Amino acid sequence: MAESGINGEHVVAPTAASDDVLRVEHISKRFGPVTALRDINMHLRKGEVLGLLGDNGAGKSTLIKTICGFQKADSGQMFLHGQPYEPHSVDHARKLGIDTVYQDLALVDELSVFHNMFLRREKVKKPLPFLSNRAMRSEAREALDDIGVRIPRLNVPVARLSGGQRQAIAVARTVHSEASILLLDEPLAAMGAKEGALILDLIQRLKEEGRVSMIMVLHNYVHVLTACDRVNLIQDGVIALDKPTSETSVEELTEIVVEEYRRARQAARAAGG
Amino acid sequence: MAVETGSQRPPGETANEGPAASRTLASGAWTLLKRFLTLREGSVIVITVLTIVYFSATVDNFATSANFKTLLPYFAPVAILAAGEVYLMINGEIDLSIGAVYLFAPFIFYKINNGGVPLIAALILALMCCMAVGLINGVFTAVVGINSFIATLGMLLSLEGLTLIISHAQPVDTPGTNVVGGLTTFARTFGGGTYSELIWALVVVAVLQVVLTLTRWGVYTVAVGGNRLGAAEAGIKVRLVIIRNFMLCSTCAALVGVLEAVRTSSVQPDPAGANEVLFDGISAAVIGGTLLAGGSGTVVGALIGALFLGVLRDGLIIKGVNADYLSFYLGLAIIIAMAANTYVGRVRKGSGVG
Ligand SMILES: Nc1ncnc2c1ncn2[C@@H]1O[C@H](COP(=O)(O)OP(=O)(O)OP(=O)(O)O)[C@@H](O)[C@H]1O
Ligand SMILES: [Mg+2]
Repeated sequence: MAESGINGEHVVAPTAASDDVLRVEHISKRFGPVTALRDINMHLRKGEVLGLLGDNGAGKSTLIKTICGFQKADSGQMFLHGQPYEPHSVDHARKLGIDTVYQDLALVDELSVFHNMFLRREKVKKPLPFLSNRAMRSEAREALDDIGVRIPRLNVPVARLSGGQRQAIAVARTVHSEASILLLDEPLAAMGAKEGALILDLIQRLKEEGRVSMIMVLHNYVHVLTACDRVNLIQDGVIALDKPTSETSVEELTEIVVEEYRRARQAARAAGG
Repeated sequence: MAVETGSQRPPGETANEGPAASRTLASGAWTLLKRFLTLREGSVIVITVLTIVYFSATVDNFATSANFKTLLPYFAPVAILAAGEVYLMINGEIDLSIGAVYLFAPFIFYKINNGGVPLIAALILALMCCMAVGLINGVFTAVVGINSFIATLGMLLSLEGLTLIISHAQPVDTPGTNVVGGLTTFARTFGGGTYSELIWALVVVAVLQVVLTLTRWGVYTVAVGGNRLGAAEAGIKVRLVIIRNFMLCSTCAALVGVLEAVRTSSVQPDPAGANEVLFDGISAAVIGGTLLAGGSGTVVGALIGALFLGVLRDGLIIKGVNADYLSFYLGLAIIIAMAANTYVGRVRKGSGVG
């Protein structure tokens, strides 16, 4: 039923533009009886910020984790800069220039702020591979100052920090990496208005620099419309809507979701009767 | 967690960022004391010092160099065992097979040496065999997915059984120690010399503490214990980290097994003694401030925990405590030490000190 699309529009397979940095074709992923992704087709242009919307459980995080190499798709292909892309680990994807802010942030409470900032990208000395804590600390300080988030002490374990500060660290870590494709899974979820604005500013700045492309999972339509160039909506395991943000509005996005609820309720009622 | 103990905090980022000039000497000293007490190792140091003071005051021949030498074998081997166990406990795992490895290692050393392999080579091969035991523990835990408590409990029983089988339950003379006319260099180095075990313990503890605090291995160990999913998401090879630490832990236990066999110049097929070794090792790690829950721990703390256990046992024995009461007192003391640790831990969480 979802193939019929929403409001009569139907999303065709992604147009293979030459400036696509990432293309995802016919990706599917199941967890036992649950089909998280059925047939995902999506593309990301160079320098673009792509907003990803969808209900809870729609499969947004699953898609992000598939692209970043954390888990394998059951079927389908991906292309990175036109080349077939089959990440076999997070490290591998990172080496190819993809870095992720996970929804659960992937921070280690017991480690200090700067150890978390450099987790799996530690700076070490030569010839003996001891950690260069000093270098990591000062670089972490720069990265956080750059965003404008205030975290007074970088030596404290992140367990001591607030939800927003933790999220800022996770975002700073990924933005500060050398990656050219950033995957951000709900980077504003725990942020207050001020910190959220800081992150949105940061994303705006990155966009102007044009060096990185981003896929951002968001729940707030206003954020989508301010920060993203284009929006994709996942429903029933497929991309059900693909539109430039300039051609859509909060009203339209709300309408789509309301419509979806109405159909779901009808389906439930039909099944019940 | 060791990565942020007080000593490494750079001057600019101390707990008190107020202007140094306005701080009086007294408040500075108080801050220092507070910092010390809230160190992860702080409470166990205090408890150990108090225990030493108590025995020195109440037992005549406690604070003597002769007694210090008696004390060494009570604590040095336990410190090495606990050092390896700390890594696994930080990982959120536990190795119950260290006692069995301790029992097994000298027999396999004996067998290999009997097969015509020179002492040092036989020792290295024996350690490698035990490292393989750790590998098996690690694979069962991290790859097959058996809880490490169960996997290593199985290993404990099978390895103790295997030791009894290959030794025919008969003690043997430790190779390299039965030379008439004094200790050989080999024996002096590997446990026979008075301070040999102490030196081994200090070296192992120092190296493992440095690795834990200052290398990626250490950071990943903490990360895997603190947030396993998050560590995997960050790209850390969680299974590899766990397997590596099981291998480290078994190797430490094997080293202790050989050192003790050389020191006593005989290899005893005694599972009961081996189990006591296991309890001591885990107690020392826990008393030293390592959490069974994972994510946090210190090797130096485990060394002091081992010292505490050694002092306590030695002191009680000199005091002439009835053997039946010994375990009872030891058990009580461990619980009290742990309670103090937990209390200080809570205070530390409340204070601003890492
Ligand atoms: N590791 C897993 N094991 C089993 N099921 C999973 C797993 N990960 C995801 N799922 C299931 O896949 C579906 C999609 O989950 P996913 O986390 O991708 O949703 P989401 O769109 O990110 O939702 P949210 O907005 O709540 O973050 C859900 O039904 C979820 O239960
Ligand atoms: Mg999600």
